[in-house]
Amino acid sequence: MISRSIEEFIKAQPGKEYYVKLAEELAKLNKELNAFNNINGSLSSGYPLSVKDNICVKGMETTASSKVLSGYIPPFNATAVERLSAKGFGVIGKTNMDEFGFGSFGLNSESPARNPFDKSRVAGGSSSGAAIATSIIENHVALAESTGGSIAAPASFCGVVGFTPTYGVVSRYGLIDYGNSLDKIGVMGRSAARVRYTFDIIKGRDRYDATCVDLPAGSERKQASKKLFVIRNLLEHVDESIKKSFEKTLSKLSGMGFEIEEGELKELDSAIAVYYIIAMAEASTNLAKYTGFKYGGKVDDFSKEYNEFFTEAREKFGKEAKRRVVLGTYIRSASVRDKYYYKALQIRRLIGEKISELARKGSIILPTMPMLPPKIEDAGKMNPLQAYMVDILTVPANLTGLPHVSFPADYIDGLPVGAQIIGAPYEDYAILDLVGKWEEDFSYKFAYNLGSL
Amino acid sequence: MDYKEFERLLKVCRIRLSENETEEMKKEIDEILAYFDKIDNIKCEEDPAYQPIDLPEQLREDVTEQFNDIDAILANTKTYRFYVVGPKI
Amino acid sequence: MKIGLEVHVALPTKTKLFCSCKTYVEEPNTSICPICMGMPGSKPKLNKEALKIGLSVSEALHCKIKSRIGFVRKVYFYPDLPKSYQISQLYDPVGYNGYVDLGSKRINIRRVQLEEDPARIYREDDYTLLDFNRSGTPLLEIVTEPDIQSEEELRGFYAELRSILYYLGIDIDKEMKADLNISLSDSRVEIKNVTGIKNLVDAARYEIKRQSALIEKGEEPRVETRSYLPERMTTERTREKETDEEYGYIFEPDLTFYSTTNVEKIEPVYASAIAKEYAEKYGASEKTLLELIAYDRNAMELLETSAHRHGMQSIISALETLKKFKVQMDPEKFEKVIALVEANAALDAERINIIAKGGEVKIGKGISEKEIEEDIEKFIAKNPGIVEEANRNPKSINAIVGKVAKETGANAKVVAELVSKRLGIKP
Repeated sequence: MISRSIEEFIKAQPGKEYYVKLAEELAKLNKELNAFNNINGSLSSGYPLSVKDNICVKGMETTASSKVLSGYIPPFNATAVERLSAKGFGVIGKTNMDEFGFGSFGLNSESPARNPFDKSRVAGGSSSGAAIATSIIENHVALAESTGGSIAAPASFCGVVGFTPTYGVVSRYGLIDYGNSLDKIGVMGRSAARVRYTFDIIKGRDRYDATCVDLPAGSERKQASKKLFVIRNLLEHVDESIKKSFEKTLSKLSGMGFEIEEGELKELDSAIAVYYIIAMAEASTNLAKYTGFKYGGKVDDFSKEYNEFFTEAREKFGKEAKRRVVLGTYIRSASVRDKYYYKALQIRRLIGEKISELARKGSIILPTMPMLPPKIEDAGKMNPLQAYMVDILTVPANLTGLPHVSFPADYIDGLPVGAQIIGAPYEDYAILDLVGKWEEDFSYKFAYNLGSL
Repeated sequence: MDYKEFERLLKVCRIRLSENETEEMKKEIDEILAYFDKIDNIKCEEDPAYQPIDLPEQLREDVTEQFNDIDAILANTKTYRFYVVGPKI
Repeated sequence: MKIGLEVHVALPTKTKLFCSCKTYVEEPNTSICPICMGMPGSKPKLNKEALKIGLSVSEALHCKIKSRIGFVRKVYFYPDLPKSYQISQLYDPVGYNGYVDLGSKRINIRRVQLEEDPARIYREDDYTLLDFNRSGTPLLEIVTEPDIQSEEELRGFYAELRSILYYLGIDIDKEMKADLNISLSDSRVEIKNVTGIKNLVDAARYEIKRQSALIEKGEEPRVETRSYLPERMTTERTREKETDEEYGYIFEPDLTFYSTTNVEKIEPVYASAIAKEYAEKYGASEKTLLELIAYDRNAMELLETSAHRHGMQSIISALETLKKFKVQMDPEKFEKVIALVEANAALDAERINIIAKGGEVKIGKGISEKEIEEDIEKFIAKNPGIVEEANRNPKSINAIVGKVAKETGANAKVVAELVSKRLGIKP
């Protein structure tokens, strides 16, 4: 399982022997894939693929980093995995994550993730392993997943391109649910082109997901918007160093011919609250199914009365998972449902209308994270609410289902700093096009280049 | 939320916590709920957005299809003869 | 006394409500997939046919139907519920505010909703055994207002509902489970999972007695959920269940809304109204007619096609005969049964079955209409004057009838008809 290999690799830093072994394995896989492609007479059609551990791969243990699911062997492939496999992508392993996607730092896991650029810092979450794998393996793409920023955050902290499509454009069949109305499978890679290539294959309607749709015809030809909006009031929550770096990015973009304008969306002030209410309400229903006898971690003694049996099984949830189950269950209670759940859904529509209106006039550009990757111990000291606030810049697009892509825009003290482009619904290709243009004049740095040919 | 209410909530979730954990989580949750309460002040008459983007309906024809690997499903369970074993009721 | 019912019926779809597994499969755990097993990563997709039937039932029960319907998750924990939530309906069900009329009494329908059935669960001493074939079977829950006020109304409502469902293609011989809500005072007692009308009436009787006794003693019955024990004909308190507060309904975010406006619905048939109409028009017993056609599509067709051609009493006798021998046939063959009835001929299972299979049967003891007709011809040939005689004096045909009937052993009434036909005179 590659996630463990990568975790060990990062911890060993660099652990020469392991480096060689891993590189050899990856090179071998590349060779096989290329041989396969040559026989079929096509271009390099597939990449070695890592898959976030909440996306089902048939016959491969899939746990969403939760002990409650240890030993779960899905009897089917996620649609995204199925489509990529058919195109010659080879699954090299499952990647580490915050349990069920609950976290922004990659620390809510049995093996907390470390940043490849500085092992004392967090890698970001929840798709921590996906970002780490992309950051250290040269020839590879990662299937990741975002609910409130779980692709953009680690992509930013680990210095890779992290793309989250419009809600519903990539099938969620085979994705272990966190918040179904927020979850999106996306792609991480070392360039916009690789991400685009992978997205081409996984996107579009799927008979197994009733919420999955096609992009409108002609979407592939969409070009980057010339006009970019900065949402001023969101920058209030951003560290000075990031703000300064972001200004640099904006001037560079201006130099490239983009028009930068400032906008304000006061409605976004409630986005974090609205997002966490919906996410927790849905998550608490999704986690109800883990009762210790149908899949994953088992309770052995069936003679225990079912309530006791279930309660024992659910002790395997981590702390954050328990917190979200309890809070989400409370929010759904009949007596407060309208106050929290229903109201949050109403505000989501309001926010969605406002932000889409802006995004239709031009893409939105923001820093991805309000801070540099924090030290692991500092992140660990944050209380839950402080940790939730870290998502302030990634939640708006995620809450409203807008496509967004985080890309390395700068480096501060050797640490990557990401910026994100948010598009109007179904403008997925337009925002990828913009990052492609950015890459013409900006070289990304990577800590390692395992598996290069 | 008072202590008794919180205990009831844990029971509804089938989540068991130690006394210390209960104390800590209750405090955290009260704090988070206080933060959530700020949406009370927002005036909003919109229809709820159950999905972030309104989606077209998709139905399934009533045509049977046998799942190809039932053994792989049951491999995740404990079985007795043809049945899945569950806890006592 | 106020009684409300929640009736659950299984729908006659080929596949489950949210997956393509076959419904109603016997051998345990052979019709399952990741979706109806609630496996992590699986997603539901709504069965078009189930939606159509759900809306058809709503329409037949005179419900209001919104322009779109939606689903919710109802969360509770029990080993038979794979996802620990049931996909059901709450705010946007397939129908609401309908009614069923029982003569002058109206029983209001609060709501009709689609939902998925849990797995079948078998209790053992130290564990349970589960068969997930049933998991995900489409159910329709029909909830009445507490408008039922007597045992007679309970029976009447149940029979009427079954008849309406029968004519919409629902297999009413499959288990129909009902929850009874009974309140004699302010406290509502719910009795869960009662199967069949006999048990419903018995459970209601017992519960009314039990609550009356408490009230007489000056006690208020407690608000609770009970279950009915058919073998003892009593009710008892059930396990502690989640309350409405705790179900924590949320919109099912793996599904969207579904439009109701373009769904083609099945035409309802109200057997009770048809029975009433025919009873009034032809002077027959409404009750008898309803008993014949309430759950019998074939009988309904035969009644409708033969009513203008034959006496209602003959039709009823013929239909009763078919019912008795559990035989179905088309209207053309049914004419022959009516002929037998009208001839007062013997009506045994063998003869009815011959007709049903398209054969001819003899009306008298071993003689067919054709043979009687041949005999009549022979008689006429031997007595050429008889035709003229009969035309002058119709009563004179009695001689022929008597003679032929005696020779053939056929029913005199049949012979009289055939003779009249042959001679072109009215009998």
